[in-house]
Amino acid sequence: MSSSLAANAAALPAARSDVRPRWAVALAGLCGLLLVAATAEIVLDGALAHSPLIPRSPAIAGWLGGIGERLGYRVFLIALLAFTGAYAVLLALRGRGLLGDVSTRWAIGLIVLLHALIFAGPILLSTDVFSYIAYARMGVEHGLNPYLHGPSAIAGDSVYRYVGLDWVHVATAYGPLYTLLSYPLAPLGVKGALWGMKVQALLAGAGTLVLTWRCARLRNLDPAFALLAVGANPLYLIYGLGGAHNDLILTFLMMAAVALTLAGTRAGGSVEGAGGSAAAGRSGRYAWAGAAVVAGALVKATGAVLLPFVVLSRRSLAPLVGAALALLVGLLLAYAVFGIHGVNIVSALNRDSAFVSTDSFPTEVAHLFGKPGVFPVDHTLLKAALAAILLYLMWLTWRGYDWVAASGWALLAIAVTSTWLLAWYTLWALPLAAVARDRRLLFATLAVQLLFIVHQTAPLIAPVQ
Amino acid sequence: MSAAPERIDGGRWDALPAWLRPRADDTGSGRDRRLIEITVLVLIGVLLAVATVRDVVLQTEVNHRLVADLATWRAYSGHDYHNLTTEQDIKRHTTREIVCGNTSPGAPKARTQLCLIMSGPVVHGRRAVRGGYSLPPRLLFDVRSARHGCFGTAVGEGLCGKS
Repeated sequence: MSSSLAANAAALPAARSDVRPRWAVALAGLCGLLLVAATAEIVLDGALAHSPLIPRSPAIAGWLGGIGERLGYRVFLIALLAFTGAYAVLLALRGRGLLGDVSTRWAIGLIVLLHALIFAGPILLSTDVFSYIAYARMGVEHGLNPYLHGPSAIAGDSVYRYVGLDWVHVATAYGPLYTLLSYPLAPLGVKGALWGMKVQALLAGAGTLVLTWRCARLRNLDPAFALLAVGANPLYLIYGLGGAHNDLILTFLMMAAVALTLAGTRAGGSVEGAGGSAAAGRSGRYAWAGAAVVAGALVKATGAVLLPFVVLSRRSLAPLVGAALALLVGLLLAYAVFGIHGVNIVSALNRDSAFVSTDSFPTEVAHLFGKPGVFPVDHTLLKAALAAILLYLMWLTWRGYDWVAASGWALLAIAVTSTWLLAWYTLWALPLAAVARDRRLLFATLAVQLLFIVHQTAPLIAPVQ
Repeated sequence: MSAAPERIDGGRWDALPAWLRPRADDTGSGRDRRLIEITVLVLIGVLLAVATVRDVVLQTEVNHRLVADLATWRAYSGHDYHNLTTEQDIKRHTTREIVCGNTSPGAPKARTQLCLIMSGPVVHGRRAVRGGYSLPPRLLFDVRSARHGCFGTAVGEGLCGKS
């Protein structure tokens, strides 16, 4: 136990703050500048709209539009690759403890600046946020159930023209908690709701970062490294926050579950044997952790994957009780507002799991073996592989493996085996990877993200007119 | 992600890079099992990396070809139109493509369309036209029964309902 603590203490840069080569600090400063410049380039060029990378949208960033030029694939991809390279160098410098204590304040300042830039800019790369608004307006303004109808049911509504063509006939696949969270924004009009969605994403992202920091501290890991790994991540910032995706709410609730569990373990551990009140406090935190997992699953069903790992690692029924109570409350609320269709999240999940995107790894592997794409039998094989991975991870967790890492691996496996992969799906595992005890998880998560980015680069090599 | 020396299992993992080594407090992962896990992870990583790069190469080839197809249609028809449609052979993954466009100025598909069948490599930014056919104005979908004036390989392939 003492050797373990010593090793963990060494992970904190404070212990090596005297080692701070000037070249490392200069290089980190250069990387920080590059991150800001790349983000500013994307935001300012994107503010002009009329770009295939910027979805049609009400003018929310027009005041930024006079500075840049129309955002094309080439500029975007160069900025994305520059951002990714700078991010990797920054992580390597911080991870090797070459920046000392001073970099913590800089890391926070840099992340705040990057968030502010993205927040002020247009919606990037995805029309999903307009689907969120359409579902909210269907329920609030038109009295329609978003679990029964697609946005085409409100074709006369002002948001309809912004919804992605692929989704106009598709009922919502999001959990009832998320749909309820979006309802208060519906009366604000399309522009007001859009800003509301951006604020929601910003707050959820900030919450995820605060909890990532807290969890890293609770585990004696370097919190600034964890913060940089998540908060300066190119896919988190440009795709996740840039598109105001509700996946950030999911990551926030997942990290809340992690933080509650770690705090519970610490509270229980520090007063071990001191009596029932400590045990009760620990069980209470575990129960709240279970409830947070369920709340995440009621935003996006994928979040439910954490629950077996929490239960197996704690060897306690408390998370299960908390989860059951939260599920009961959530489903009653969903039934009251949306009827039976709002409760049946599994059917929407099954429907979406049949979708195929060109960016998914199964599609790429199919192409590699000369097939035009994935077939129904491939879906079955992928589901079987995923089930095997989850069972193995559960067994490992039962044997004492870090449950946070196991949950992260599970989320990463879901993203990799999914035939419908979008950039923001690779964010699910990221905050967990940043605070996991198994270092391989963060490396694997970043490798998957890098491959996703590499897959976008074809227009850079052979531009299409 | 510390670079601090951590001698675990008597230095058994020292040969591996730091990110692959277990932490001192990383329990539950047995020695042999960890090696197997790392091997499987590396193999999956290599497969995904090769598939990704191969897919980028394929996309690049397709992009390169599509640009040449559009240039070829414009050169062949003598019209500098930009609203052209391209149909790829997604079933057999060949390089055969059919590019259609109006024969006189107008909205997309509003006039009689000239469709050209192209295949083979890109040479000096152009591709070989093997055949083609025409489509009547205001036709939403390219259907065999509506095609006419087949020439070149389109005749042999029986692509036209009437010739």
